[in-house]
Amino acid sequence: MPQMIFVNLPVTDLEKSKAFYEAVGATNNPAFTDDTAACMVVAEGSIHVMLLTHAKWATFTSKTIPDAHQAAQVLLCVSADSRDAVDGQVDKAVAAGGKADPTPTQDYGFMYGRSFEDPDGHIWEVMWMDPTAIPAGEPAEAAA
Amino acid sequence: MSDTPKMIFVNLPVADLARSMAFYEAIGFTNEPRFTDDIAVAMVWSETIFVMILTHDKWKSFTDRPIADRGSSEVSLALALGSKEAVDAMAEAAAKAGGTADINPAQDHGFMYGRDILDPDGHVWGPFWMDPAVANGEAPIPETAA
Repeated sequence: MPQMIFVNLPVTDLEKSKAFYEAVGATNNPAFTDDTAACMVVAEGSIHVMLLTHAKWATFTSKTIPDAHQAAQVLLCVSADSRDAVDGQVDKAVAAGGKADPTPTQDYGFMYGRSFEDPDGHIWEVMWMDPTAIPAGEPAEAAA
Repeated sequence: MSDTPKMIFVNLPVADLARSMAFYEAIGFTNEPRFTDDIAVAMVWSETIFVMILTHDKWKSFTDRPIADRGSSEVSLALALGSKEAVDAMAEAAAKAGGTADINPAQDHGFMYGRDILDPDGHVWGPFWMDPAVANGEAPIPETAA
């Protein structure tokens, strides 16, 4: 069985967020989508984002929802196939109402990373790393 | 390059790197020494799923947003496991390793079973099992799911 992760994020406007995540390349899985939650597939069979209304979120936890524009608890980073793909995804995020580069661009030559934030302020980093350049025994700079 | 499967790195700020490394090892992650130093530790779940635990100082080099209070939760991270027993084992390992088990009521819908845990810094993880037939779309989601 493939290993799967579901990143659950609270969102204020489900339809708007669904459209945003589709714009940046995720695909909706209607089988696990209703008017309180939307399953967005980032990589089939492995990486999924579950967008949850605040009301749905509150059924899972009594923890409050921080304003992700103001504070953060997580930086989510996904890999991309090329530098151009990194830029392309950030461009798509901006076109869809997101904000570009909430974190500093990282350019180390063999590794290139940028970021965007979704409409609720959740930060996504997009990173390309030259697979041939990963040093065999050396600690590389963290892929954050 | 296009054959490279998409990977996710979940970056989490932690107060005590060694404590968190031990916690994540206890619940089933494996350390990747090539991406580990004294400010950041890579923990491997699978070939495509990684957790990067970062000291607060390291975290600050990526974002100037303050770390949200642990009484609040920006994200909850759910991992699909192979059986209900594996879910229980992860929850129990978490409790023994400095985390907290069952911060929310366990969810048992028959075809789906999940328990929510906290890591030592209050980050929420939700190990769960789902009947593969339902997960693959071969069987409908039972009515009780709603």
